Amino acid sequence: MLDGYDTLITTIALGAILAYSFHVVLMAGQLSLGQAGFASLAAYVSTLVVPTEPIAGSISPVIVGLPVGALVGAAAAFVVGLPVLRLRGVFLAIATIAFGEMVRVFMTNAEWTNGALGMRVEKWVTFDFAWIVVAALAYLFWRLGPSRTGRAFAAVREDELAASAMGVDVVRTRMASFIASGAIAGVYGVMFAYFFGRITPATFDFGLTVDGLVTAVLGGYLVFFGPVLGAGFLTAVPEVQTALGLEAGWIHPLVTGLLLLAVILFLPGGLSTLFARFRPKPARPEGDDAALDGLAPLPAKGEPIAAIRGLGKAYGAVRAVREIDLEIRSGDVLGVIGPNGAGKTTLINMISGLEPPTSGEGDVLGVALGSRPHRFAQAGVSRTFQHSKLFDRLTVLDNVLVGTHPVSRSTYLRRLLWLPSARRDERRALALAWAQLRRVGLDDRAHVRPGALSYGDQRRLEIARALASHPTLLILDEPAAGMNHVEAAELADLIRGLAEDGITVLLIEHNVKMVLATCTRLVVLNFGAVIAAGEPREVAADPQVIEAYLGTEDAEESEHV
Amino acid sequence: MLQQLANGVFTGSIYALFAIGFTLVFGILRHLNLAHPAVFTAGAFVGIEVATRTAIPVWILFPVVAVFGALAGVLVERIAFRPLRGRDDEHFAGLISSVALGGVVIALLQARYGTEPQSFPREYFPNQLFEIAGIRVTLTQLVTLGLALVLMLGLAWLVSATSLGRAMRAVAENPTAAQVVGVNVGWVTAGTYAMSSALGTVAGALLALNLGQAGRDLGASIELVGFAVIILGGLGSLWGAMAAGVILGLAEALTITYFDSTWKGLVAFALLFAVLVLRPRGLFGHVKVREV
Repeated sequence: MLDGYDTLITTIALGAILAYSFHVVLMAGQLSLGQAGFASLAAYVSTLVVPTEPIAGSISPVIVGLPVGALVGAAAAFVVGLPVLRLRGVFLAIATIAFGEMVRVFMTNAEWTNGALGMRVEKWVTFDFAWIVVAALAYLFWRLGPSRTGRAFAAVREDELAASAMGVDVVRTRMASFIASGAIAGVYGVMFAYFFGRITPATFDFGLTVDGLVTAVLGGYLVFFGPVLGAGFLTAVPEVQTALGLEAGWIHPLVTGLLLLAVILFLPGGLSTLFARFRPKPARPEGDDAALDGLAPLPAKGEPIAAIRGLGKAYGAVRAVREIDLEIRSGDVLGVIGPNGAGKTTLINMISGLEPPTSGEGDVLGVALGSRPHRFAQAGVSRTFQHSKLFDRLTVLDNVLVGTHPVSRSTYLRRLLWLPSARRDERRALALAWAQLRRVGLDDRAHVRPGALSYGDQRRLEIARALASHPTLLILDEPAAGMNHVEAAELADLIRGLAEDGITVLLIEHNVKMVLATCTRLVVLNFGAVIAAGEPREVAADPQVIEAYLGTEDAEESEHV
Repeated sequence: MLQQLANGVFTGSIYALFAIGFTLVFGILRHLNLAHPAVFTAGAFVGIEVATRTAIPVWILFPVVAVFGALAGVLVERIAFRPLRGRDDEHFAGLISSVALGGVVIALLQARYGTEPQSFPREYFPNQLFEIAGIRVTLTQLVTLGLALVLMLGLAWLVSATSLGRAMRAVAENPTAAQVVGVNVGWVTAGTYAMSSALGTVAGALLALNLGQAGRDLGASIELVGFAVIILGGLGSLWGAMAAGVILGLAEALTITYFDSTWKGLVAFALLFAVLVLRPRGLFGHVKVREV
């Protein structure tokens, strides 16, 4: 039945494999374009190990080449990744293109590769062999999607800073996606070589990279089979044109270009948009409170949470924070107030690990200040941001699920093997997320995107996401900003409820009424230094504080609004 | 040796002219316009066609090509970038849509001119040979260098000293704020693309004049060098792109002299790789670079 279409269908498979090597980096938001280089290295190295005769009479000898190719690609990606993964966006893209071109020139000039003429090998890759490889890759991505690792990829793609504050190791996640991309590109290189029977350095050029990127983006990242869709589309379009009798050489690229343009302009998620709506929406599990019971107990009231001495942060000559001593004990609801530019956000950025201090020392839940941010999150620090940093292209529920990162175990490898424990762990994470959504009153909006929520709801979603990590210390950066009276009053109730549950809260807020109603202790900053600290009522009555922040008698009314 | 250096400078001035189109759009609008190489190629073909049909002199030919380029640039922005504005994957999608549009342009060129390379009419431009201080240069090379210099200096003047240039710099700094204070961002965007593509098409026609002919892969052959130039010069930096273009031209000329032409590509990319890893803002860049 498929007679005559063998080559065509195998070409689709090869295109899909190449596109998967882009898919995996795009999932993590990395624009890496060195795949041609990885594929080239893998293809050439594989010629050294692939036997010339079928194994055991009938097995394709390429089976030996695939792991070798994957290994070569992964190793090359790791070595290249060490220096270049500090770059982002266009810079990363161009650095990786440069790597690919260097490999090409090097291979053209090397002796053992037979230079520009290339090498001939046997055509061992058949139609079914190619599709088995595609199926294996598709399986890997199918199981990756709704796993803890898959969510970490998505979080890094959407917002690296927020991801690291949720306990995701951003450096490792980016490297993992980069290495996986190298491995898949390596597999592609080997498959390509043994399908066409010929390897030349010019095959693995910038044009190949563009093809792979276009296929991956066209297919889209929303479903695991996006690359197959993209490859099928790009391969089928010229065939259909030929079948329709459009033979002129320029019509093929014209129609392909126009279709690609139409897809990218009108289907933002690529072809996968057409399928994404059929994805199941995770339902709320029964008895989600049970999941909360299994969590580690919070420290007893009065135990030290953070001890900080002489903390300072300078940006060049500007000293945003200086000589701050701070002690936080379990059960505190510590309010930090001060005029704009007093250094409040800089202070909590240091406490939550997003910025290293320039002077002073201290630790938070046993993590030394200056450590990488995900360590703080894993130790039990969780936070919201002054300007909300939600993961815009994930649903409300998925946003909160990312928050469970520090209190859940990696499930990907176990999901590949369908181990029941992985399913249990995923269900538990889901229960935790639902419980927090209900706690902030957003459980009926679980499947919309954050952009569809009102401003106040977005702030509450940030709190739910922060709570999902079962934090010991919760840091809220101006959570009531932009809220109306009713919403702010509800928020104050919520914060008091959290404190009753034993969560230590650090609250930055301009709404003084709310601060006085919720906090047990108050610290006032001005020009980066502490000007008063103690009981809220006492501090609020301090003349120095009134002058610096609350305003004189006349202005006071407006501050209380 | 001196001869090689001179050749390097000539090649480098075309690189610079091509790359400035890239870097102008990126510096002001943060778009990496991958249709630029196709527009560059189109400039070469249009230049050849106009020269063949009308036999107008060179000093009219280039303004005609530039006008064509400006129109093409406005179209590129309208088709490939404007519809994406405000989307959360704007930058990413812009890369793909401009690749697609570039493919369409190349296909249209093939429809009109076929697959064979096109040549300037013989005798269109007197191929006079001069000898200056022992270096042989052709009239074409002198015109190339002169035109490139004039255009680059003109652009630099425009950006730094005119009100349009001030508006462009305002948009580069913060498009929303620029809009608020009354800058017509739509016009600045269109103007930036028009200038970028006008420079690109003139560079294409110049390269074709130097080579005597142009094929459909003219732009693709220079695209990667263009990346190298804009990064070496510091993304968004005009002076940097000019200097880096010449540096790359020289580096290639020297590589060919001392090694082998097959190693030519390695120098550019090794240099590029090293600069990105050691000094991502480029050799001359001092602008704070926003991420894509």
